[in-house]
Amino acid sequence: MIWATFAILALVAFAIVLHPLRMAGAGILTRNDTVPKILADQMQEVQRDLDRGLISEAEAQAAQLEIKKRILSTLRQSESAPVNGAAGGRKSILIAAIFAPVFAVVYYTTMGSPDIPSLAFAERTEERTQNAEVTELASRMRERLETDPDGGPSEGWMLLGQTYQRMGRLNNAITAFEVVAKRPDASSATFSMLAEAVVIANDGVVIPKAQRHIDRALELDPKNPAATYFRALYFLQQEQPRKSYDLLLSRLNEEVSFAPWMEVYAQQINRIAAEKNFPAFQPPMARAQQPGPTAADVAAAADMTEEDRANFIRSMVSRLAARLEDEPEDLDGWMRLANAYNVLQERSLAIEAYQKAQALLEEMPSDDPRNAVVREALEQLGG
Amino acid sequence: MYPEIGHFALALALALALLQSVLPILGASRRIPVLMKSAQATAIGQVLFVAIAFAALMHSFIVSDFTVRNVVENSHSLKPMLFKVAGTWGSHEGSLLLWVLILTVFGAGVAGLGSNIPAETKARTLSVQAWISVGFLSFLLLTSNPFERVFPPPLDGNDLNPLLQDVGLAMHPPLLYFGYVGFSIVFSFAVAALIEGRVDPAWARWVRPWTLAAWVSLTAGIALGSWWAYYELGWGGWWFWDPVENVSFMPWLLGTALLHSAIVTEKRDAFKSWTILLAILTFSLSLLGTFIVRSGLLTSVHAFAVDPERGLYILGLLAVSIGGSLALYAWRAPEMEGGGLFRPVSREAGLLVNNIILAAATGSVLFGTLYPLILEAVTGEKISVGPPFFNAAFVPMMLLLVGFMGLGPLLSWKRADIAGLLQRVRFVAALALLAALASWYLLNGGPFMAYLAILAALWLLLATLREWALRIRLFEVPFRDAVRRAGNLPRASHGMTLAHTGVAVLMMGMIGSSAWKSEEIVFAAPGKEVSIAGFDIAFQGVERVRGPNYFADRGTLAVRRDGDLVTTLFPERRTYPVAQTTTTESAIRSTLAGDLYTSIAEPASDQVNNAGAWTLRILYEPLVNLIWIGAALLVLGGVMSLSDRRLRVGAPRRAKTAASDAVAAE
Repeated sequence: MIWATFAILALVAFAIVLHPLRMAGAGILTRNDTVPKILADQMQEVQRDLDRGLISEAEAQAAQLEIKKRILSTLRQSESAPVNGAAGGRKSILIAAIFAPVFAVVYYTTMGSPDIPSLAFAERTEERTQNAEVTELASRMRERLETDPDGGPSEGWMLLGQTYQRMGRLNNAITAFEVVAKRPDASSATFSMLAEAVVIANDGVVIPKAQRHIDRALELDPKNPAATYFRALYFLQQEQPRKSYDLLLSRLNEEVSFAPWMEVYAQQINRIAAEKNFPAFQPPMARAQQPGPTAADVAAAADMTEEDRANFIRSMVSRLAARLEDEPEDLDGWMRLANAYNVLQERSLAIEAYQKAQALLEEMPSDDPRNAVVREALEQLGG
Repeated sequence: MYPEIGHFALALALALALLQSVLPILGASRRIPVLMKSAQATAIGQVLFVAIAFAALMHSFIVSDFTVRNVVENSHSLKPMLFKVAGTWGSHEGSLLLWVLILTVFGAGVAGLGSNIPAETKARTLSVQAWISVGFLSFLLLTSNPFERVFPPPLDGNDLNPLLQDVGLAMHPPLLYFGYVGFSIVFSFAVAALIEGRVDPAWARWVRPWTLAAWVSLTAGIALGSWWAYYELGWGGWWFWDPVENVSFMPWLLGTALLHSAIVTEKRDAFKSWTILLAILTFSLSLLGTFIVRSGLLTSVHAFAVDPERGLYILGLLAVSIGGSLALYAWRAPEMEGGGLFRPVSREAGLLVNNIILAAATGSVLFGTLYPLILEAVTGEKISVGPPFFNAAFVPMMLLLVGFMGLGPLLSWKRADIAGLLQRVRFVAALALLAALASWYLLNGGPFMAYLAILAALWLLLATLREWALRIRLFEVPFRDAVRRAGNLPRASHGMTLAHTGVAVLMMGMIGSSAWKSEEIVFAAPGKEVSIAGFDIAFQGVERVRGPNYFADRGTLAVRRDGDLVTTLFPERRTYPVAQTTTTESAIRSTLAGDLYTSIAEPASDQVNNAGAWTLRILYEPLVNLIWIGAALLVLGGVMSLSDRRLRVGAPRRAKTAASDAVAAE
């Protein structure tokens, strides 16, 4: 359908360019056809002005004489005759008519997105309803968990966290996971999910907070694939690609049967391998049908050279810093920025950002947990 | 599908523009008719495909198709329909698409309507127009694609700046661009004439309607923009000498000069290279304006340096088109002088003075606009050049210009009779002086410059009317004859009278509303009374109301004069939750004598311990509406002139002769 429309448009363009050939027989206007007419009109105008008494007889005569001279000189300038219907012209037009659609098609096939459909807002009621339903469900679930005298079942909180994470509400997700993380029944998976949410919330950077959760997850289950993946990512961000590569590879080789997460591992290993000239990993398994863990999103940063990655992280941090210039009230933003600077070992910048956060915290209730975080961080940094 | 059709159509338009930039001009130099004629087809094809692209983008905005990035960033499903439509040109990409659409409209206009223009001139002109097309279409497709897609689409958009959600502003860019870009065709005519090496009265006649059309739109666009600023920004000002305003004003000033110098070329075969230069410079200023506004240079010179891709592309276009055309001018212009001679006192000399003053005024605005940018780029220092500079540099020049404007139309071509002239105007000069003195006596107070300006405006008004009276011999012949004579005047002459009267009216509005403005800013709690310019205004409180996509705090002000209720005003403070911004909706009591202008701002801070207090801003601006009336007269004058029968003269019915002669000659 879309290509048929393109074909029609291209055909129209083709016909438009060819059109002059159809009028080839008709003459063309030359200066001799047009200029004397305009000058003659000026003569009449002078006459009208004279009749109306706007100018004197002498003035009119002088003006008319001048215009007559111009008419004569126009007629005297002989124009060379047009080369009518020259074959060169026809050929050029024909080539041009072919050029137009070809140019557009070549351009479009490289730059266009023919596969993306149009979606009018009105047609997306189902999506909106679903979204509203999910939001509604999430808030109902949260209410029930919060009002539960026993604090709500851990499975419920984990489900809520995952729902929030899918909705892109990462801070809510982290809060939900943290409820479970504080309980004695917290599993390794609890901590690796929490770590993942923290990493995504920090634009893919494995900040110390995430690191602590990764440590805890691996303590409980040294084989937890997600936790291992993020630890490897941490090594990579610390510019230790060999360590990252080895960790991923050894974990992968521990498995005997296929698991969906292996795809992501293999991709990450091969990305590092391609950059560092390490031997590439040949997956023994065929293509997995299932998608890997959402960690794939996080891994975007890994698909880059060492230097690019550092720049990428820095640019992300500087974008955050720039945004905070415009929205200095964003307390969580400042805390995130301070954290990121800390990771990048920009001590004075980190202190500065924490101090900004501290200033904002003064307007918050004194029992706000973020107070403690900031105080602790500042103490550590000695600021 | 629609956005992709738009994208593909844009690519086809670029292809046609590329062809049109080569074939017709080649045809003109080799004298091959079929190539010359191809310009007509491709020019119309271009406008067709750009219009398809524009319609596709507009469709995406209307149905809120959030798979198009441009719609996501500049619209929202809750926005009123009118502003969804206006959102099409609200963004950088959309406004450039509109720019190109208008560019191609003018090209197609010459192709379709210019039936009195010889094929060679038309072919060259349309080729030059296509060069500009190629530059801007490639700019769009390579750096600012309006049809960039997002998939999966976000659930809703990010809204358009609510400040821009105003009917005046929705119409402002199209009109402004019509003027801005309209001068492109005049530029193309000028460059084509330079290539051809011939400028004559006929050329001036062909160009005139296009210059007028562009000038009329630009005038209307600037006036609307100023009107919008007055109503929407909540400050009661109508001109801020803001760079964005200045860049649209400069082409207007030079375009006005061009309009007048082209008359000399048409009537007297003189001022030829000067007219060409003005045509080139006017459009160059339009390009400069587009560059300054679109490159982000205004926000900050440094912001431009951070993301320079777009800015550099336009800068390149600017360098090529301005540099190229000026080089061509330097090379070819010396060949085309000559033509009618004139005395120091003559219509020509009058128009020369008009041109010189307008060019100097443009120079002063250009300096005031660019100097801060250059200074910031070189030294990093940020300064702003504001009203004091322009009042000192620009206003006196305008007063001088107005002084000459009254005289100009009374002068005859070639040589004028100075004694007779003085005799004809001494009465109106004395009358103007007397009226100015009377206003000084009555108004006592206000700056001296304002009285000088009153004198100039009255002089212009009276001299213009006097000239009109002389033309129709009012009071000399029986009244019925005078009316008949008025009816017989060419429309261009009516146009001139209307436009010059418009300037006088406009000036009075400007003088009244700037020199005799009264202003009160108060912290007010309900019950507070303010007196200004004879009005007593009682603040009765604020209530919260709900609009389609905003909430508003609406104040109620009862306006009384001598105890009688005159009107009740409801200024609003609107909050747009999606865009998280607030705007001011002023409430105005508008009369010809002046505007009572009220706006309400955030409640005064609680710390001052006067909860419930608001900041009220109340102004009285005498005569301010004369500004819009004067501008309307200018536009009307331009339209009147444009409708003159003579602009269409010279269209032969069917010129087969040339072709058949040519065949016979072979």
